Amino acid sequence: MNRTFLIIKREYVQAVCKKSFIITTILVPILSIALCGLLPHFLSQAKSDEQKVVAVIDQTPGSPYAAQIQDSQEYRYNVIAGGVDDGQCDYHAIYRGSEQSLYALVVIPSDFDKNTQVHIYSEKSVNGGLEREITHSLRKAVRQQRIQTSGIDSLEQVIKYCTPEITTANIKWSKEGEETVSSAEISMFIGLGLAGLTYMFVIIYGAMIMNNVVEEKTNRIVEVIVSTCKPFELMLGKIVGVALVGLTQIALWAVILSVVGAVFGITSMAASMGEMSGVADAMAVSSLPQDSSLYHIVEILLGIDYAQILICFILYFIGGYLLYASLFAAFGSAVDQASDASQFTGPIVMVMVFALYAGMFCMENPDAPLAFWCSMIPFTSPVVMMIRLPYDLPWYELAGSLVLLYATAIGLLFLSARIYRTGILMYGRKFTFREILGWIR
Amino acid sequence: MPYIEVIDVCKQYSGHTAVDHVSMSVPEGSIYGLLGPNGAGKTSLIRIINRITHADSGEVLMLGRPMTDADVRHIGYMPEERGLYKKMKVVDQVLYLAQLHGMAKADARKALDEWLQRFDLTPWADKKLEQLSKGMAQKVQFISTVIHRPPLLIFDEPFSGFDPLNADILKREILRLRDEGAAILFSTHNMSSVEEICQEITLVNHAKVVLQGKVMDIRQQYKKNIFEVTTVGGETFHYSLKEGESAHDAIAHLNEEYELAGFKEVLPSMHDVFVEAVK
Repeated sequence: MNRTFLIIKREYVQAVCKKSFIITTILVPILSIALCGLLPHFLSQAKSDEQKVVAVIDQTPGSPYAAQIQDSQEYRYNVIAGGVDDGQCDYHAIYRGSEQSLYALVVIPSDFDKNTQVHIYSEKSVNGGLEREITHSLRKAVRQQRIQTSGIDSLEQVIKYCTPEITTANIKWSKEGEETVSSAEISMFIGLGLAGLTYMFVIIYGAMIMNNVVEEKTNRIVEVIVSTCKPFELMLGKIVGVALVGLTQIALWAVILSVVGAVFGITSMAASMGEMSGVADAMAVSSLPQDSSLYHIVEILLGIDYAQILICFILYFIGGYLLYASLFAAFGSAVDQASDASQFTGPIVMVMVFALYAGMFCMENPDAPLAFWCSMIPFTSPVVMMIRLPYDLPWYELAGSLVLLYATAIGLLFLSARIYRTGILMYGRKFTFREILGWIR
Repeated sequence: MPYIEVIDVCKQYSGHTAVDHVSMSVPEGSIYGLLGPNGAGKTSLIRIINRITHADSGEVLMLGRPMTDADVRHIGYMPEERGLYKKMKVVDQVLYLAQLHGMAKADARKALDEWLQRFDLTPWADKKLEQLSKGMAQKVQFISTVIHRPPLLIFDEPFSGFDPLNADILKREILRLRDEGAAILFSTHNMSSVEEICQEITLVNHAKVVLQGKVMDIRQQYKKNIFEVTTVGGETFHYSLKEGESAHDAIAHLNEEYELAGFKEVLPSMHDVFVEAVK
């Protein structure tokens, strides 16, 4: 055990002191902040700097529509006076002849009242934003105009009354019939997020285990090490050491993100508070009874059984990691260079991707047979069970899934150790899947 | 008592026999040569001795009792394909391996300082291995093999990759370890070093022992009754005894023709023995 501890310590210290570890630990939060926070800001800045000029020719009698198109951040609309003959006009010459360089030329034909079609001419490919702005403005204008010409009083109110927005309120009963606001969907999203985290962790740090195994093998130091300890101790030490590296990295990311978040949060507190309340209002309108408010959202968030989610997450996280990590170690031992390992890692990643898709399917159909079986099969259960968790599963289903997961993980750990034991001493050529399975014997 | 005894050991890999009924014993305080062409089964045998793999049949005794997993800490093993962690500092690396061999960190640190001094490597202690020259890295590998003072040392081609100067330093250290009582198993192709430092050898070919015994005895056994004759005039030539002719007869016979200054038996070199035995 002492030797396993030494191996864990070496794996951990070496990985954590590596430049690449320090760089990714610092860069990932910075990049994610940049991508999520700053990029949209810069993009919107870039947009407003270059307001594009669009000419509008309104051929309808009296030209009532052109004036309805309002300038936006992105587009400035220049209305060109009428007097141009419909059908014979050389729009291209107008486009070309404009003093300002035009982005597009919008023509509202004289029969627009009937056909409601506008023409957008340009030498460039026009982006969807312009189309949306124009159709939006004109739809409003035409609607206004038609309501007015109908001659029916208060038609506007009637139309509004006839197109209601339907909302739902999900109320979950406890066994005693007590009402609580349903939290299943939010719990499911939390579950999916955590399961995604498990799989991301497995892929990133599983690859790290594999690289370390291959490195020791190509360095040939593995022969010296296994003459001092059992290959199983070495493999286990690696798996645990790398897991600790991963947990450290995630913890550091969380700390950096919350520190940066706190610093930025103070400066833009007012703005974000405004946004938050906007979001809260939107949620209140869309999914809660009319009289509900922020209080209900808090109620939902408080209604989630965090203890259950957290305990299950930890159990499935450890089980899923062990299961896949030992496979990565075994396949790493069977190759001479990391690039040769893809033939083995491909299927592993495919299974993981399938598990995530199955998980998303289960969000819609948490009681379907696929959902049940995928929450039992150890290769997919760490994702699928996390998503089914809010649906009050019978305890024996949960226990069965966990027992299966851990039994398989431990079984695979020992099988992988047998492959590993032989693989690390095999050099010189690529081995087939069948040969590798033969090493188990 | 031999430090390590290999008794009738066999090992097969997927239908191919790597070690076929091999027996040998390595005494304390001596250097024992394990010779053989590439693929003869030397590395397989070494891996069985240091318990990286297990024999299909036969056994390995350490000081007369069957070896256990715990006994590997009494072995220092330097494989032919050298390897250390490139990104690790010399100190960390050697201390790690010493601790894996069961040495306390403080003791290992003290021993390491002595070894670094002996090999003039002290200024390099805190450098990463990739910053060292190949020769220096080999010395670090040697230190990590012997630092825990194992009573059994296994060197697989220890001199390969060393320049003559460093090879001499290494040879001196190996002889010193032998004089301090270590049993040394020495696997090599370099026959001149075998003649120089090995007391006994086992020669394996196609997984089987083809030759075993004391170096001098083997050379005697393979001698071809050839003598080196030197005349007073400084002429030197080889003389083969004819059938039934004794050395005494030969001297008498040669004395008639030449004025002899020297008459010395030529023993075959281990190189010649090796070539003849594996032919």
